[in-house]
Amino acid sequence: MQRTISIALSCFIFLLAGAITVMAQTYDILIKGGHVIDPRNEINQVMDVAISGDQIARVATNIPADQAETVIDASGLYVTPGLIDIHAHVFYGTEDNSYLSNGFSAVPPDGFTLRVGVTTVVDAGGAGWRSFPQFKSQVIDRSRTRVLSLLNIVGHGMKGGPVEQDLNDMDPKLTAMRVQQFRDYIVGIKTAHYRGPEWDPVDRAVQAGELADVPVMVDFGTFRPERPFQELVLKHLRPGDIYTHTYLNRVPMIDESGKVYAYLFEAQKRGIIFDVGHGSGSFWYRQAVPATEQGFWPNSISTDLHTSSMVGGMKDMINVMSKFLNLGMPLEEVILKSTWNPARFIKRTDLGHLSEGAVADVAVLSLHTGNFGFLDVRLGKRPGDRKLECELTIRGGRVVWDLNGISRPLWQDMQIDP
Amino acid sequence: MKSRKSLCPLLLLVALMIGSISYAQQYDLLIKGGHLIDPKNNIDSVMDIAITGDRIAAVESNIPPGQANRVIDATGLYVSPGLVDLHAHVFYGTEPNASYSNGYSAIPPDGFTFRSGVTTVVDVGGAGWRNFPQFKQQVIDRVRTRVLAFLNIVGSGMKGGPVEQNLNDMDPKLTAMRILEYPQILVGIKAAHYMGPEWDPVDRAVKAGEIANVPVMVDFGRNDPPLSLEALLLKHLRPGDILTHTYAHVSGREPIVGENGKVKPFVFKARERGLIFDVGHGGGSFLFRQAIPALQQGFPPDSMGTDIHVGSMNGGMKDMLNVASKFLNLGMSLKDVVAASTWKPAQIINRPDLGHLGVGAEADLAVINLRSGNFGFIDVGNGRFDGTQKLECELTLRSGRVVWDLNGLAAPKWDEMNREISSR
Repeated sequence: MQRTISIALSCFIFLLAGAITVMAQTYDILIKGGHVIDPRNEINQVMDVAISGDQIARVATNIPADQAETVIDASGLYVTPGLIDIHAHVFYGTEDNSYLSNGFSAVPPDGFTLRVGVTTVVDAGGAGWRSFPQFKSQVIDRSRTRVLSLLNIVGHGMKGGPVEQDLNDMDPKLTAMRVQQFRDYIVGIKTAHYRGPEWDPVDRAVQAGELADVPVMVDFGTFRPERPFQELVLKHLRPGDIYTHTYLNRVPMIDESGKVYAYLFEAQKRGIIFDVGHGSGSFWYRQAVPATEQGFWPNSISTDLHTSSMVGGMKDMINVMSKFLNLGMPLEEVILKSTWNPARFIKRTDLGHLSEGAVADVAVLSLHTGNFGFLDVRLGKRPGDRKLECELTIRGGRVVWDLNGISRPLWQDMQIDP
Repeated sequence: MKSRKSLCPLLLLVALMIGSISYAQQYDLLIKGGHLIDPKNNIDSVMDIAITGDRIAAVESNIPPGQANRVIDATGLYVSPGLVDLHAHVFYGTEPNASYSNGYSAIPPDGFTFRSGVTTVVDVGGAGWRNFPQFKQQVIDRVRTRVLAFLNIVGSGMKGGPVEQNLNDMDPKLTAMRILEYPQILVGIKAAHYMGPEWDPVDRAVKAGEIANVPVMVDFGRNDPPLSLEALLLKHLRPGDILTHTYAHVSGREPIVGENGKVKPFVFKARERGLIFDVGHGGGSFLFRQAIPALQQGFPPDSMGTDIHVGSMNGGMKDMLNVASKFLNLGMSLKDVVAASTWKPAQIINRPDLGHLGVGAEADLAVINLRSGNFGFIDVGNGRFDGTQKLECELTLRSGRVVWDLNGLAAPKWDEMNREISSR
């Protein structure tokens, strides 16, 4: 009898201890002491961020360390929503002459995103309505990075050469139908690289955008007098549509007296989104320096990541962000334009912030001071004294990048089993 | 008439000046003031290095800047031969269930090599004799990184699953024939991932190696029941053959450091015999628990192979300089780390044209910054080791061309460049 009681008692104590343990470790991960920048929630101060499962569980000034299984000391570091790059090319593949649509010029995302804090990329027009299913099964479904898509108005997608010049393959209705079929993945329409004098690619992209209620992103291709750039941003595009490659040399930006043309401010005020889209040909200091000095800043920061930009002046998202930091954009603006702004532009307000209940995509960044240099697409250097580096990336609640092991225990403290 | 007379000496003077300018700028590129580490040529001091076209043109203690079109100031930085990664997986592709052989587990090299100073990678065993031509046309011929390869003893290559267990597809003669067909690219044989109790994959790889006169690299470890590591190193492999995943502790292969914390005597004996030990870090094959005692007891690696692939690129491995930094922090000298990342792997694969900065050699070169601070490094068990030194790649040259420039070391200032607009 006594034995039964003592067994029952020890069972009870055991259960109680278990319950306490479970209760004590409410959170899986706690990021403590970092400076949180979450523009959507207007947070810009030292806060703790707790994660349970794949969601943000709590953001508060002092969450006790013993409430979490893994505690990450982020003192001296910045904690931001996972970065969103709305201009990337990740429909990689090995088909000859296929450029950025199952071709050799696109890159598999995970090797270029997670190490710099990017948790979401938007492939800008790699796939068209015909090739989207292949893109989904080949890349989207296999990557740890969240991959979204701006569907090319060209049905065959961004295959280069005459394929992208074929007006007969630009069908607004079919494009919109594909968007509606894959709403979770397709967030807009892209038109790009068009060389002809017609407005058709832009107008049909906008038409598809109206049908599917999504924004359009434009790479204006060959700039021609028949279709002036001013008309693109003042008439053809709708508020909420995106012009990418903002600081491309061909954009009429600086007049002869060195002033930024007024129409650019007017277009931005009208609601046109100016996206960086750096790439290997589209970010010129000759444009960006005077333009930003006079207050013409981009609405979103993006990379135009592909094989020619990945080792050139662009390099990666955080390098492009560092350029704007050194051009004088405040850090919280840099973060806004790499997280909440792009999320809003693609109408994915579930992303780009650290609200409780949001998916736990988080970046922990360090801000270095020193002597750095940053190259534009002409490989001209502009010195800078600040540089961002990604310490840690969490995607869906899981650590997917840890530069210096801040989320890891010392090797001596680990168990021996192989 | 008079004016014409006075013009003549002027023209002569101009012609002379042009001549002297082109004479003065005999080099395309001059890297000045860096600390050169070139283990093959026994250089470990501040030296200037000049490049013309795709070749190293001069290595001297003071080359005048006026002799080069472009001068790079490398003061405070290290200059090393372009790194040679002896263990990579770059036969990427989109074939389902094809693993490291035209599959999703391998990576396209250029995005991972140059940013880390690597100019040559050796794909170890992605392709076998059957699919090497596809590997060549799909990857090797298209990338800027120099890609060499160890052919898998499995004819269909490293496709995972039963494909790699098929003894009937391991043909030494055909494997050797393919190597003799592409001697400039195929520098060895790989045996890996075999789960059976037989020695056949290793022995056939060695046989192919004998026919083609190339080394064999073995990934040893899934045999069930496990085979003797001692027998592999002392009997089955030849001097010059390579064990990769040196500091691994995986089920199916005994580790080199035993439970008593000591490196096993036969491991030292194997090194004396001429066996090569490669890091092959990867996603599962480098533990501080193995590496720290091994290095303390005098067993550093011969080569710094990364085993880069999708499963290691974002984990503890990351890239070649991160692996090299680990060994620096574990006590290897910078010179030895550079040797294990350049001249040693070049020798191991019988490519003495690579891995050094001798005059006349192809101009593959890395300019490296040795940062000091508080850094952490993680192993494949996610255990952290804290260190104070970290290597970072500032600049990479591949065949005389700048292919990576972190801070614009080789670049002019943007506002000093001409205004002419280049076409896209």
